[in-house]
Amino acid sequence: MTIPVDWTVAGPATVVMVGALVALIVDAFYHRRTWLGSGLPSTVALLAAIAELVRQDATGAPFAFSLVVLLGTLFVVVASNVMNFENAMPPGEYHFLLMSAAAGALLMVSARDVVTLVVALELLSLPSIALVGLRQGDRAAIRSAWTFFLASVVSTAITLMGVSLLYGVAGTLEYAGLREALVDPDVPESVVSVAVVLTVVGLLFKLGAVPFHAWVPDAYGGTSVMVAGFLSAVSKAAALGALLVLLAEALPEAHDAWGPVVAVVAAVTMTIGNLGALRQDDAVGLLAWSSIAQAGFMLAPAVAVSGPYGLSAPLQYVAVYALANLVAFAALAVVLRLRGSTRLTDLRGMARNDPWMGIPLVLAALTLAGFPPAVIGLVTKFVVIRPVVLDDHVWLAVVMGVNVMLGLAYYLRVVVTLCGRADGEPYVSPSPPISVRFAKSTVLIGSATLVVLSAWPDLLLSHLP
Amino acid sequence: MIVVALAVPFAVGVLLMLARRFVPSRVAAWAGAGAMTVTLVLYALVWEGSEGVSGRVDAPWIEPLGARLQLGVTAVSWPFALMTAFVGLLCCLWLVADDAAPALVGLVLVISASALGVFSSLDALLLFVFFELALIPMWFVIALWGTGDARRAATRFLLFTVTGSALLLVGIVMAAVRGGSLELIDIRPDAVAIVLITLGFAVKTPIVPLHTWLPDAHSAAPTVGSVLLASVFLKLGTYGLLVFVEPSAEVGVVAPYLAVAGALGIVWSALACYGQDDLKRLIAYSSIGHMGFVVLAISTRSDVGHAAAVFGSVAHGVVTGLLFFAAGAMKDRFGTTSMTGIGRGLYGRTPWLAATFVLAAVATLGLPGLAGFWGEVLSLRAAYDVGIVLSRPVAWTGLGLALLGIALTTAYVVRAVRLLAQGEQAHTDADRDLDVREAVVMGALVVAVVVLGLAPQLLLDVVAPLTVWAAP
Repeated sequence: MTIPVDWTVAGPATVVMVGALVALIVDAFYHRRTWLGSGLPSTVALLAAIAELVRQDATGAPFAFSLVVLLGTLFVVVASNVMNFENAMPPGEYHFLLMSAAAGALLMVSARDVVTLVVALELLSLPSIALVGLRQGDRAAIRSAWTFFLASVVSTAITLMGVSLLYGVAGTLEYAGLREALVDPDVPESVVSVAVVLTVVGLLFKLGAVPFHAWVPDAYGGTSVMVAGFLSAVSKAAALGALLVLLAEALPEAHDAWGPVVAVVAAVTMTIGNLGALRQDDAVGLLAWSSIAQAGFMLAPAVAVSGPYGLSAPLQYVAVYALANLVAFAALAVVLRLRGSTRLTDLRGMARNDPWMGIPLVLAALTLAGFPPAVIGLVTKFVVIRPVVLDDHVWLAVVMGVNVMLGLAYYLRVVVTLCGRADGEPYVSPSPPISVRFAKSTVLIGSATLVVLSAWPDLLLSHLP
Repeated sequence: MIVVALAVPFAVGVLLMLARRFVPSRVAAWAGAGAMTVTLVLYALVWEGSEGVSGRVDAPWIEPLGARLQLGVTAVSWPFALMTAFVGLLCCLWLVADDAAPALVGLVLVISASALGVFSSLDALLLFVFFELALIPMWFVIALWGTGDARRAATRFLLFTVTGSALLLVGIVMAAVRGGSLELIDIRPDAVAIVLITLGFAVKTPIVPLHTWLPDAHSAAPTVGSVLLASVFLKLGTYGLLVFVEPSAEVGVVAPYLAVAGALGIVWSALACYGQDDLKRLIAYSSIGHMGFVVLAISTRSDVGHAAAVFGSVAHGVVTGLLFFAAGAMKDRFGTTSMTGIGRGLYGRTPWLAATFVLAAVATLGLPGLAGFWGEVLSLRAAYDVGIVLSRPVAWTGLGLALLGIALTTAYVVRAVRLLAQGEQAHTDADRDLDVREAVVMGALVVAVVVLGLAPQLLLDVVAPLTVWAAP
């Protein structure tokens, strides 16, 4: 039996996987167990994978999603240096798991048949679960990992059931084959509807969409901040990419079955996410709930995935979202390390007394809210509403508008808290170790990118397909 | 030219905020006044005539969305822009002697420049960006320099406005997608879009019953904040209605509601004013009435209504600005804006201040010969003529309510004048007449009020007939 392997697709994922193994081996033989020891091979592997991806000269949505995944992971790896000398976090295992999950994310967006998709989904999920519970001696983290694990298993089981039904009616699991098979009028429509909806469930779970969102705040809150950043940016981008490609390539004929489901899930997801975020007093919890709401915004244009902007709109949105979220999480990781708290009341006045971390946080919040001067956030909001309007889902567009407002209510609360006058003594940052500076540098580079994109949104919109 | 006019106050504003610890407050205020003078002069020079667009700047911006960096002023926006630059300049001058924080001057500049950006944008997305840009600075002006429960008032203001702007965003996307253009001159919202856009601007204008943020925000804000809110921010709403809603062929969908809500606003605000003891709250409520006249005029979609709306907006800007400066001057002296707290007999205690206040007050009730008159009378005329979209019963209902409102307005203005200016003099230690900067700021506005009142043609000649905007 020969298994055809398309190396243009598998190349970057293989490079990342090799990087994961090297990171693990280095950790085994290098006794000081510093963060740099296993971080270096991971960084090199990610850069090599990016080079490999770009060298192949590929275009289209999978390429762009892969790029988002790789750049996001690189950001996480460099920013994770903030955890150096935290004894509870083993660097070797951390990098191994992170890189494995990244490889899963890469395969997921390039998958062209459903079995590969499910395998890639598991390759992303299982290391992610381990990452959440990795901190040694932390019972809350273990509990979060368990919740995550159970939710993941259940959703995978449902997806597998949908996949088997799909195989039953179509006789193939390749995207191209499915697409042709579903045109056949003899295929029972009711079975197809059930099969499609069940298949989509697993991806909605990774995306953190309602009603599979309950693990998100739990996992983000229980784990270390950079792992939450990885889950919110990279894992979410991969799930979105896989879902969009699946809907556009394999299931366009079943649009009647999944269209209303996607629209309703998007509307409910953004509303519940925003309502949850309104009640948060901790910055990480707030970002966790807001990432649920953002998932709804990414999902909404999927109703018009076959239209002219169906793939590019969510892609551009998720790229900006991922960058802003990573900046926010990295800044919060630094803050947590140096101040020991990410509660909003403890962050008051940060933009004044610690501008190098406070202003990037402000910028990230404004981008996520879609509020000038972070023009790029506003432009991507415009971009995701456009296909929805074009496809005549006026109610969904109005729900999105209302949710933009709900989102502004808490993002602007973060902004005014950060910019407000500090109570009491201004905070004086102690001289941080070099590893924290690595994390700070990622925050600054990320915010600089956001500023450049805000000044010139065309840079992103014209060049990301 | 417009780019420079916008960039100068933005740059100076941001610099003042960044360097707030190193700049003496007087220097900051003078720098702000200088920047706004440059802007005012440039805006005055850019005018090329009522036809078409003056000072057009056009550069590519976001190709995939069809959005371009298009700036320029039209017959509608130029009066708004001049008024904004003028009021912004006076606000900076007001801060000269006020020991104001340089950051406050910076915020005033950024807010004025953002509003000017709205009036100068020819692209809907660009307009929206400027529209939002002014909000957070305004939150800080109210929350950090306000009095009373300022934080709460500021937050309520912000939440109401962003609710409106979220709906506005969806409306703009919808108009752009369906109409195929983001250019203001071509944008033609369809029925659904126009409802969303109208709701968005209705919060800002404000139109009853979406006005509840206004009294708290205006009365809690510091003097320059109140002036900017009333003279500039409310105009963003009416300007939006003028460029998005009025030229649209679908205006009939919202016009009857606009007419009735505007007229109800006139009556309702007059009743609310009559019960006020706080002078700033009274002025704030009176703004709702003035905006009611403007909205009623817009809803008729006629040449007269169009002229009335532009004139009414600009006149409200100078008249209410003057009132808020007068109230601010009283607050600086007496420490309160409660009319019973200030006490009677200001004619004898502080004659110039009292005279200025009374002039502004009678201008606000629409005394012929002062600026407030023309906006109201043209608005009534437009409602009497019915226009092309309203039905006669609706238009005349609006007319009747507006007339009733004028009678009630007279009542509350007379009450306020009686409570403050006339009567037995209740001397206090704080009785001081106008100092130089107050005299300069208020004098400039008095001149504007009188000139607009005596020579309305100066402004009416600028305002082109509606047909220029509304393509068939």
